[in-house]
Amino acid sequence: MADPGDMGQAVARVEDGPLVRGHGQFVADLRVPGCLEAAFVRSGVAHGLLRSVDLTASRRTPGVRGAWSASHLDDVPLVPAMLYPEGALDRPWPALATDRVRYAGEPVAIVVAENRYVAEDGRDRARISTEPLPAVLDSAQAGRDEVPLFPGLSNVAVDVTVGEPVDPRVWERAAAVVDTTYRYPALCHTSVEARAILSRPEPGGVLTVWCSHQAPHRLRNDLAAALGLPTDVVRVIVPDVGGAFGGKSETWPEYLAVTAAALRLARPVRWVEDRAEALSAGPRGRAQTQRVRLAADADGRFLAMELHTDAAVGGYPHMGAFLPEVTARMATGAYATPEVHVRARAVLTNTPPLCPYRGAGRPEAAYAVECTVDLLARRIGMDPAELRRRNFVRPDAFPYDTPTGFRYDSGDYPAALDLALKTLDYPRWRAEQAHRRAADGTPLGIGVCAYVERSGAGGEFGAVEAHADGTFTATSGCCATGQAHATTFAQVVASALGVDRHLVHLVEADTSVVPRGVGSFASRSMQNGGEALLEAAHRLLAEARRRLAAQADVPEAEIVVQSGGTLHARGRTRTLGELAAHHPLRAEAQVEPPQAFPFGAYAAVVEVDRELGIVRVLRLVAVDDYGTVVNPLVVHGQTYGSIAQGLGQALYEEAVHDADGRPRTVSLLEYLLPTLSEIPDITLEETCTPNPATRLGAKGAGEAGCIGVPPAVVNAVADALQIDPSTLTVPLTPETCWRAAR
Amino acid sequence: MNISLTINGEERQLDVEPRRTLADALRDDCGLTGTHLGCEHGVCGACTVQVDGTAVRSCLMFAVQCDGSTVRTVEGLAAPDGTPHPLQTAFASEHALQCGFCTPGFLMLAAAALEENPALADDPDGLRELLTSNLCRCTGYEAIRLAVRLAAAMRNTGGT
Ligand code: FES
Ligand code: FES
Repeated sequence: MADPGDMGQAVARVEDGPLVRGHGQFVADLRVPGCLEAAFVRSGVAHGLLRSVDLTASRRTPGVRGAWSASHLDDVPLVPAMLYPEGALDRPWPALATDRVRYAGEPVAIVVAENRYVAEDGRDRARISTEPLPAVLDSAQAGRDEVPLFPGLSNVAVDVTVGEPVDPRVWERAAAVVDTTYRYPALCHTSVEARAILSRPEPGGVLTVWCSHQAPHRLRNDLAAALGLPTDVVRVIVPDVGGAFGGKSETWPEYLAVTAAALRLARPVRWVEDRAEALSAGPRGRAQTQRVRLAADADGRFLAMELHTDAAVGGYPHMGAFLPEVTARMATGAYATPEVHVRARAVLTNTPPLCPYRGAGRPEAAYAVECTVDLLARRIGMDPAELRRRNFVRPDAFPYDTPTGFRYDSGDYPAALDLALKTLDYPRWRAEQAHRRAADGTPLGIGVCAYVERSGAGGEFGAVEAHADGTFTATSGCCATGQAHATTFAQVVASALGVDRHLVHLVEADTSVVPRGVGSFASRSMQNGGEALLEAAHRLLAEARRRLAAQADVPEAEIVVQSGGTLHARGRTRTLGELAAHHPLRAEAQVEPPQAFPFGAYAAVVEVDRELGIVRVLRLVAVDDYGTVVNPLVVHGQTYGSIAQGLGQALYEEAVHDADGRPRTVSLLEYLLPTLSEIPDITLEETCTPNPATRLGAKGAGEAGCIGVPPAVVNAVADALQIDPSTLTVPLTPETCWRAAR
Repeated sequence: MNISLTINGEERQLDVEPRRTLADALRDDCGLTGTHLGCEHGVCGACTVQVDGTAVRSCLMFAVQCDGSTVRTVEGLAAPDGTPHPLQTAFASEHALQCGFCTPGFLMLAAAALEENPALADDPDGLRELLTSNLCRCTGYEAIRLAVRLAAAMRNTGGT
């Protein structure tokens, strides 16, 4: 019988109606009476001592309702650290700079006015005086501590080692050792809606906050703590979110300043980040420099790998200090390398703050591992696909404990690679390559990346309630930012209850209705949030059974649950709605499945124009294994979008600053995003290895493209030009490739 | 300055500062918040609306430049009886939106182009070039391309 919940079906989304009619409700769209708009006065220098901030002219601007720098506030709220408070220890981050600025664009004052035009007039009349200090922009330089960002403290905020040190004799005795360095540039998340918040003080001391966010409960707790309010007076609502990709999980200084201003004025205040702010001073991702050493025996079997990675975490380590360790733990990759040792550091630099960006530490690890595997293949003259096959963790080796301290739950890495190569028609492209080389034609290269990543961490809350009218409410602690939770969570719940999915309505992203929750990041929504809802749905059925057993006076074991949300016992039939008629019928679940390890293989074919240096991606194949897929339409959309961002990383995107740390990529004419014309011919394939730790079987989906595409493309370009992949630095601009082709 | 314009079939009188963009006038003065702002410097296309039938970036136009013009925004795309435009139907069925923030811009861009040239969908390069003018960070574009083709086919067969 067909599943009325449509589990596993590519059903269209229920979210789309209002969005295609222009009735979405993004933060900037909210019509809140009396709402003021904020603009920020930002530091023009990357590092300096803040001498004075004069807001006299700002305040005199007609229509300006208030302007504050840190010196005008008795108590400047401090920005809380996310996930890794140790890294932020003794390094306070005031929401508005107090005595020192540590990155260009750091908020120095807030101007609040009747509308944004006037707020910007006021902003432009502010006078800041700063005594410049030398700016340290890269992690190697900053790590030498010649210019401390926090006097008396090292710029190295985190320094961790993972795995056992490699015995020096391994390197000496190995048949082949490659040793190389990589630089992964800083990237901008560039959700088309940048950050946005609206804070409204309510009568009675309550505060309502609408924010374009991924983790409303964390934001609520952070705002309350930073502003000295009881948690229960703060209500955070996340309306429609125009993309997030990791840059909206945090409690940013601007949010604290806006909320403080709203409380002072007792008026609603909104800040909508504009593109110039986002690109020049907004969150950054990646920004690692790496050194990798890989040793293999004469058959190409890996003996040991060593990685040293430094992340430039920006002027404050609060959001990004945990990322290098994620990279460190993922450095085993898909391989059964017996010894892996990593040192990972978070280093303060005079650049905007680092935070997770789609992939969050895993793309950096995959890049180090997968480009180095290709380098080794080139060195020992082995086909890179074959070298990978020889070294994969074998399908019968799971659960596999990595030398870097992770337990890979399940997988079949060779199957993914084989499917990718078959889909690509690998031998045909190798033949084409040989043909072109013989004829001195346009260089063509094939690159592969076999990735394994990590998804989902921490607990999640879910609840399901049956209503007398036959509908159901599913409540989740997650928070959609475009991933179609209303559609897909309804599929999970409806299919468990055997009811039509349209009867299930999702509630999330409002802290006054959802008692607790963690949010949506780290590809955790379906893996953890879906599991919580599934568990809650089963508990609801169990409670319904008990209820009918008591009503009908029959043993529970005799009760049969049938489709349509109906229970039968000795001739009596009750729907879940009927059982909820006189007494609420509701079940909750809090689940905490272990993190999962989705995997896959990407293959790219490129050609490189020798004269112009332009890379053309001719073909891209992505094989992903996300475990159980609830809605293939949604998951394919995630994969596609993630691939586009991966292409951006490989070929176009980099946040650039000048030698003094002032941003140079301040518009979308300089920070280049892929358009439709940059999207190649893509084929998606899947293998399915269900998550063994959950009832649902889902693993995270949505970040793989950012992980798999860059190494595949870089390896392909290196293959085309017959050079070491480590001589290339992303993004592979025409100039980079033109030089490499000389 | 006082201006008058027809927006989605409705006559409007507005009093705007000369520096006010069309986008802000639509969003804040008319409450038509379906037109989104993604860059405010003419690159992303999220703010695309039609002025006298032509797709324009409303962040790059001053409201006063539109005095006497006819403006159509995403709120005016569906038929007056609420029947969705074929593009709206096709975007949903092809999963051509995720967060939906860029969607109004793509819809207005494609609607103007298909009105001008219904055969555009059969011209792969022309369609690619058209859709290259707007940015989407979520979908990877392929679904958007397919949705526009589907909508063109629906129009040509008279269905919705
Ligand atoms: S907002 Fe107008 S083009 Fe981006
Ligand atoms: S759907 Fe999110 S930007 Fe296009």
